[in-house]
Order: sequence, then structure tokens, then C-alpha cells
Amino acid sequence: MNAFELERFVGRRLRALPAPRAPLTLLPRVLAAARAWSQRPWYAREWFTWPIGWQVGSLALLTAILGAAAVMIPAAQVMLVNAATSLAGAIAFDVPQVAESLQVSTSAMRVIWRALVQPFLPYVFVIVVLMCGACASVVLALNRVVFGRALHS
Amino acid sequence: MTDADQFESFVGRYQDMVFATAVRLLGNRADAEDVAQTVFMRAFQRFAEIGPSPTAAGWLKMVTRNTCLNHLSRYRRRWRLFSELGSASAGDEALNPEALLAAESSVADDLERIERHERLERALRALPDHQRVPLVLFHFEDLSYQEIADALHVSLGKVKTDIHRGREVLRQVMGEA
Repeated sequence: MNAFELERFVGRRLRALPAPRAPLTLLPRVLAAARAWSQRPWYAREWFTWPIGWQVGSLALLTAILGAAAVMIPAAQVMLVNAATSLAGAIAFDVPQVAESLQVSTSAMRVIWRALVQPFLPYVFVIVVLMCGACASVVLALNRVVFGRALHS
Repeated sequence: MTDADQFESFVGRYQDMVFATAVRLLGNRADAEDVAQTVFMRAFQRFAEIGPSPTAAGWLKMVTRNTCLNHLSRYRRRWRLFSELGSASAGDEALNPEALLAAESSVADDLERIERHERLERALRALPDHQRVPLVLFHFEDLSYQEIADALHVSLGKVKTDIHRGREVLRQVMGEA
């Protein structure tokens, strides 16, 4: 059977197939979805289904916003540059003060670490290890009891 | 007749056509039902234009086809998995025994024909998507090879090869040399 014969043969058989019928659940499903959609307020639906007045109004508003943005952007750029320049000046003025306060807080933290935390670190480590060991042994014991029961039952 | 009644009769009139197109393209009844609902919801949203239009059937077919192709490209992996699982279970609802039994032939012939149709329908659904989709578009949707290649964004050669391989599989299933 060559390709052309195969095409005709399969095509004939496929066309003879009865069309699959929609399940009985489809119609109620579609009607319920349509009812739910109808109950939504118009502004919660797709834009192309809005009332024509609102479509025109929203388009006009969008155009106005875009137009205003196009006009305002150059002015906003100038304002932004001015603001950035003045901010940079203020930061440059404050840099020594900020650096000084940073140094003070770093030294304070270092002192606290050496005096309060460092001496107790080995003890804390030992306590953590002991707690982990205790937890592991409890888990093992529970496991043994539970699985032991499961095996016996 | 209210709008709701008109829409109900509209869905009743076209649901088999939309579902048949969807289930053959998707190979999965649950997905086909979802797609059919999506298609009818789109029709509902434009029911004032679509409902009375004489081209409603063509519009529905086109929207169903496009929705199915979008669905396949979006959920390809998941769809493959479920179509494989689904092919193992029976797709018996897909058959229309009443229509077959209406023919004037013996009961044995009818049963044999039903079985043959069922086997072919299952084989069609079990084909991998890259073979079944172009095959369905060619034989059921009457698209040309070039139109299928354009719709699926693949080369013309690939479409021809895939359709030929799909046909070979179906021929083997039908048990014809």
C-alpha cells in the first residue's frame, strides 16, 4: 500500500467513525458558568464586554494618562536630576558623621561579644551537643517501641 | 424565548460538534470538556453576534481548534501523561451505539463494527500528540498539510512524516495489510 492509498484508506475509516458525543454534564456546566458570569458586575468582566460608553471612557482616560505622561516626563526628568543632586550634596555633607557613629557601634558590639558571649561559647556548644544526643536517643527509643509494636501486631 | 433559553438551545445544538473536535485533538475527555466550556463561554460573551450568525458553527470549530492547540502547547507534558493513563481506561462514552444500530444489518455485524470503531478511536487517542494532532487536523478538520504546518509552527516535512507514521499505526491496529 503506497502513501496515497494509505491516506485514502485511513481517511475513509476515520470518517466512518461516529462522532464522540458530549457528556451529559457539559450543558449544565456551561449554563452554570454562564449564569455565574452574568452575575458578575460589568467592571469585573473582560474589557471587550463592557458597555460601549465605559469602553470609550476608559480608552479616553488611558489616552489622557499616556498624553500627560508624555508631556510630564521631560519635566519630571529635570525635577529628578535636581532632587538627586541636592540629595547627593546632603549625603556628602553627612559622611564623616555617619562613619563616626558606625565606628562607635562596631566597637561597642566587639566589646559585648568579648565580655559576654565568647567566654560561654564552649559551654553552649557542649549543651547543644548534649541536647542533640538526648533528642536522638528519645527518637530511637520511640522508633523501637512503635515499630516493635507494629511488627508484633 | 429568553436569552438564557436561546443560549441553552445553542449549546445543545453544537455541544457534540465542539466536544468531538476537542476530544479528538486532545485525546482526553476531561480536558475536552474544559475546552468545550471555555469555547461556549466565549460564545456567550459575544452571544448577540454569534448566536444568530449563520457562521456560528464555523466560528465554534475555529475557536475550539485554536483553544485545543493552545491547551496542548501549554500543558503538553501533563497532557501526555494523562492521555497515556486515559488510553488504558475505556473511552466507551465516545461511541454512539444508537447511530450504529440504526443501520440495517445483523446484530453480529453491528457488534463487530462497534468493536472496530472503538478500537480505532482508542488507537487514535493513544497516538502521541505530534502524530494525532496533525492527523486529526487533516482528516477531521480538512486542513491541508501546509495549513497544519503553519498552525503547529513546524516544517511541512515533519507534518507529512508524522501523519504518515500515525496512519501506519492505525493501519496496523485495523489489521489491514
